[in-house]
Amino acid sequence: MWWGGRGQSFNIAPQKEEPEMGSVQENRMPEPRSRQPSSCLASRCLPGEQILAWAPGVRKGLEPELSGTLICTNFRVTFQPCGWQWNQDTPLNSEYDFALVNIGRLEAVSGLSRVQLLRPGSLHKFIPEEILIHGRDFRLLRVGFEAGGLEPQAFQVTMAIVQARAQSNQAQQYSGITLSKAGQGSGSRKPPIPLMETAEDWETERKKQAARGWRVSTVNERFDVATSLPRYFWVPNRILDSEVRRAFGHFHQGRGPRLSWHHPGGSDLLRCGGFYTASDPNKEDIRAVELMLQAGHSDVVLVDTMDELPSLADVQLAHLRLRALCLPDSSVAEDKWLSALEGTRWLDYVRACLRKASDISVLVTSRVRSVILQERGDRDLNGLLSSLVQLLSAPEARTLFGFQSLVQREWVAAGHPFLTRLGGTGASEEAPVFLLFLDCVWQLLQQFPADFEFSEFFLLALHDSVRVPDTLTFLRNTPWERGKQSGQLNSYTQVYTPGYSQPPAGNSFNLQLSVWDWDLRYSNAQILQFQNPGYDPEHCPDSWLPRPQPSFMVPGPPSSVWLFSRGALTPLNQLCPWRQSPCQQSPSLLAVSSRWLPRPAISSESLADQEWGLPSHWGACPLPPGLLLPGYLGPQIRLWRRCYLRGRPEVQMGLSAPTISGLQDELSHLQELLRKWTPRISPEDHSKKRDPHTILNPTEIAGILKGRAEGDLG
Amino acid sequence: MLGKGVVGGGGGTKAPKPSFVSYVRPEEIHTNEKEVTEKEVTLHLLPGEQLLCEASTVLKYVQEDSCQHGVYGRLVCTDFKIAFLGDDESALDNDETQFKNKVIGENDITLHCVDQIYGVFDEKKKTLFGQLKKYPEKLIIHCKDLRVFQFCLRYTKEEEVKRIVSGIIHHTQAPKLLKRLFLFSYATAAQNNTVTDPKNHTVMFDTLKDWCWELERTKGNMKYKAVSVNEGYKVCERLPAYFVVPTPLPEENVQRFQGHGIPIWCWSCHNGSALLKMSALPKEQDDGILQIQKSFLDGIYKTIHRPPYEIVKTEDLSSNFLSLQEIQTAYSKFKQLFLIDNSTEFWDTDIKWFSLLESSSWLDIIRRCLKKAIEITECMEAQNMNVLLLEENASDLCCLISSLVQLMMDPHCRTRIGFQSLIQKEWVMGGHCFLDRCNHLRQNDKEEVPVFLLFLDCVWQLVHQHPPAFEFTETYLTVLSDSLYIPIFSTFFFNSPHQKDTNMHQRQLSLPLTQSKSSPKRGFFREETDHLIKNLLGKRISKLINSSDELQDNFREFYDSWHSKSTDYHGLLLPHIEGPEIKVWAQRYLRWIPEAQILGGGQVATLSKLLEMMEEVQSLQEKIDERHHSQQAPQAEAPCLLRNSARLSSLFPFALLQRHSSKPVLPTSGWKALGDEDDLAKREDEFVDLGDV
Repeated sequence: MWWGGRGQSFNIAPQKEEPEMGSVQENRMPEPRSRQPSSCLASRCLPGEQILAWAPGVRKGLEPELSGTLICTNFRVTFQPCGWQWNQDTPLNSEYDFALVNIGRLEAVSGLSRVQLLRPGSLHKFIPEEILIHGRDFRLLRVGFEAGGLEPQAFQVTMAIVQARAQSNQAQQYSGITLSKAGQGSGSRKPPIPLMETAEDWETERKKQAARGWRVSTVNERFDVATSLPRYFWVPNRILDSEVRRAFGHFHQGRGPRLSWHHPGGSDLLRCGGFYTASDPNKEDIRAVELMLQAGHSDVVLVDTMDELPSLADVQLAHLRLRALCLPDSSVAEDKWLSALEGTRWLDYVRACLRKASDISVLVTSRVRSVILQERGDRDLNGLLSSLVQLLSAPEARTLFGFQSLVQREWVAAGHPFLTRLGGTGASEEAPVFLLFLDCVWQLLQQFPADFEFSEFFLLALHDSVRVPDTLTFLRNTPWERGKQSGQLNSYTQVYTPGYSQPPAGNSFNLQLSVWDWDLRYSNAQILQFQNPGYDPEHCPDSWLPRPQPSFMVPGPPSSVWLFSRGALTPLNQLCPWRQSPCQQSPSLLAVSSRWLPRPAISSESLADQEWGLPSHWGACPLPPGLLLPGYLGPQIRLWRRCYLRGRPEVQMGLSAPTISGLQDELSHLQELLRKWTPRISPEDHSKKRDPHTILNPTEIAGILKGRAEGDLG
Repeated sequence: MLGKGVVGGGGGTKAPKPSFVSYVRPEEIHTNEKEVTEKEVTLHLLPGEQLLCEASTVLKYVQEDSCQHGVYGRLVCTDFKIAFLGDDESALDNDETQFKNKVIGENDITLHCVDQIYGVFDEKKKTLFGQLKKYPEKLIIHCKDLRVFQFCLRYTKEEEVKRIVSGIIHHTQAPKLLKRLFLFSYATAAQNNTVTDPKNHTVMFDTLKDWCWELERTKGNMKYKAVSVNEGYKVCERLPAYFVVPTPLPEENVQRFQGHGIPIWCWSCHNGSALLKMSALPKEQDDGILQIQKSFLDGIYKTIHRPPYEIVKTEDLSSNFLSLQEIQTAYSKFKQLFLIDNSTEFWDTDIKWFSLLESSSWLDIIRRCLKKAIEITECMEAQNMNVLLLEENASDLCCLISSLVQLMMDPHCRTRIGFQSLIQKEWVMGGHCFLDRCNHLRQNDKEEVPVFLLFLDCVWQLVHQHPPAFEFTETYLTVLSDSLYIPIFSTFFFNSPHQKDTNMHQRQLSLPLTQSKSSPKRGFFREETDHLIKNLLGKRISKLINSSDELQDNFREFYDSWHSKSTDYHGLLLPHIEGPEIKVWAQRYLRWIPEAQILGGGQVATLSKLLEMMEEVQSLQEKIDERHHSQQAPQAEAPCLLRNSARLSSLFPFALLQRHSSKPVLPTSGWKALGDEDDLAKREDEFVDLGDV
């Protein structure tokens, strides 16, 4: 099953559906001519969801074809196969649901002609025999309509989809789920992913990171410092809230320096927006800014995040090109595929991100210093780099829990404008930075298969979730909007309680679901596949932590300030741009917008006077074993086929390649067989027989693994 | 360093003489008694190997660094290899010696493995060949397995430079006589190596029995018979001593054109259809001879065209398919992508990587080979036709395509033994000219075409796409590709079984007086096609192939329907051939590039986890066996090879951890200053942390 069934994104055998097909055949459908969907159909709707049209159809693409019903509602287009078990716990069928906003292209096929449906008018007197729904998440749904008097229904459902799509916008959400789930409470998350919306969450996380020089600031509790910032964040211990407020005013959109991650070795990773050059800070303000940037370290490295990385427009363009290339009917000839792939530049951007993140993680890991990621907006690439750096340097971020917390903290809470970037507002600033990040993570997963607790399927699920409007996680641009929607802000503005007290009991806070409530959309069998069976926590010993070095406030100016740019460190005279007159400003600071420039080729002449490799004082201290240094050579950056090529049947079919989990299934199957076939085992051994003993021979297993995925250059 | 692994290798009075070298279980090569000892560094010589020249204080550049760092040592050239012996032969850790190739050390290059030699004169790189007037200060050696070595000769005595450079150039570049191959000195010196491994059941196809066995296995014995008409190579030197032809074919037909124009059986499918091959008849101008040829072929076709034989479809591989020149050009472009002298070059190609890859069209050639094999498979499997492969000598693309078809259709060929038997049958006995195609003798560069490597790369695509269908891994294929250049195995060093038999036997007597046979001239650059055969066949097959469109449709339908079903790994196996599916055999081509190393990553990481699992399984198994007082000892110890080293590199088992600490790539203009701050960092410790008081 190349798509649909259970084979689409997951390696779960499609056992459930087929056997039932024959038996359900008779009563599966209401009377063909009936105008009313049967009550069973209606019961599958979410509260508030209305069925606009439906038609019986056959899911095409791969054997066996699956008959069912194509339904268009005011939220989504969904295909419900016959015999599909409606499950109250997973109200959304992750495989057949296409949220209206997710529909990238609609095509109708009649005979030999194929029409792209843009406006309702484009379907004039055209009875579709088959409809193709291309998801913006690279999925494809092909539904053929049965002949035999059902053409009006086929026509209606197609019309309805076209119309509903034209009217939809991403902000629409499945509010019904929130209601239906409300009764169950939010206790289903185990362990709950901290949403970073309370001071407790921040305090817990700070303790976990052992960031002793830092505290949780409540200065933005009412979102009056910046609406795009979370309500709480970490600032150095010694800095007063009033100083924070003062300093933040001199940064772009009030996004001053905050701690992202405290490295156990003592370094701190900070992120902040660009300096607001038009402001005229006084001496006190400058001192506060400097202290916050310095974060108690004598060495400070400013990282220009935008340098060497693609601009938002670049990312968007690359993603569009990639999507066009991966369409099943893309016109690119087979032998030109590689250069077409190169032409999208997507993989090039992935490479750039990995390279930069890898450089920064070396900076953070190798020595005690304050590393500041500075991006003008501080809401896109900063989040990407900071997350990647943590994934590379912190083994705990590579667990399922750690990764979800990381995304929640560095992306959701930090105010990444998901709605705008994913095209929900229709504004021009669409750029799938988050999807670029997921691709980078996938590359890491490929390169270090034993270091991540989560699997490719988890990344896919997350990738597909960004356009499913069931939770607020990816539907709002800022924490402020998110809070407003879920009702918590009201309680704050009305009953403002100072300090970090609990939100008042009884407010709607608990009703809010996040994307991390996977059981909304995924069955338990699917959620089990989120685990990477090859994960080996022992792989990186816990004892990798270098000697912790407490950070503290150094009075006076920092002793060394560096700018990390174009892959090299250059000394800076000062941290802030304001002391000099504007004309003397150092061009490296972010008042100047940086553009996408290739890293200067390191010619052999310049190599001679450059010190390569570890600086002398690092010699005694090799890089900690917990640090991952990804490869980012041309052949090592690969295409995420399981994600991007899902729409191409011929490619998709190869994706059922065995994984370790498949091997595990086989193992248990063999054990089962062995149990049956070994009568000589005496009864007292029955407990023993559960132990994995197998007839697989080593070369077979090695063969299965060796050939897998490595060298996957396409 | 050389031969270090050999010492602990155990006994070794009787070593097997395998056809292929394997890293996992290397055969024992015992060292020669007369070891050359000098200082602490020891050069280990194989039996029959002789030291030719050497030079001391040579600086070998460490590849991953800039060109400023290196190791001093001795550069030697023997009649088998070029070796570099480092002065500070630092204690290698166990892993390194454990997984070392026992014939070829890390710094050894067999003479046949040398591809190009460059000299650097005043910063300018020039190809070196012939007599030199001036000697270079730096020697760059590109190997056929894509390693790159750089030696600095600036600190070496001028005398020695002259000797070593001209020695190396002479022994690697100058045309050689077959009898001067190291193979023969080795075979003479190590005669006790002839005991075959009893476990090795590879069918060699050098007896009538082997062919009969294969006929029986594939149920082809109803319609085909093994013939011994060429015993002692009486009829033809291109053909093996024994082979299989259609039963009704009169044996004297074989003699008519020295084996040309005879349909030779390759393999039979379960449905009775068979794969045949035929070498084209010699081209003649004379009308009379043409007439004779025509009637001869007519007779042949009559034989194989009537029942019980299936309809025959002819595939002319020398006219409508790849040319050998295309393969040669593509590979020489392709390999340049991986032969890098310094890291900078590699970084520069990053951005253009895919288009460079594409422009070499190596991957496209692989795709075309796989596609052709699928087309033939479709004919045999779906349309129940016999397919007759036709080529000038039936020894290049015929071998490639017929092996691929068998690999796809016959699960036996996907076992290790089956695969080795297949190579033995189709390539070695099929008369693929390994000697010329690998240019072992350096006699004609134009003949050098990596057809066998192309085959291995096609197989790799299959292995990569369907790993569970194969008993062997990509590492096996990589090692196999290396063994093409190791002249202690006779398998890949002859043009035909006849050449091998005559030379190996005479060698034992003493010397062959003359080379038995000059390199056969196969004009593969010839542009015009063989009209005679084409016309003849055109009539016959025209009714089968109505239009190429229909052919495409059949192909498409067969391909799509196979791929839409779930894969049976023990049945028919087809590769994906779409654009994104044909990939670079990273293990073979990237393994010597340090930048491609991912520390602690790659598949090895998963593999070690898996082996751990298997070890546990095995120990449980043992416990169960104990309880049942079973006499049988557990079969084999689980390889605990990866257990001790948690973080192997992704290039394992090839470039073993060359970098003990990974190098961050930060060119630092001011790190020195930072280093001085170290004291400050220490002082910081004494401060009281006020953070959490």
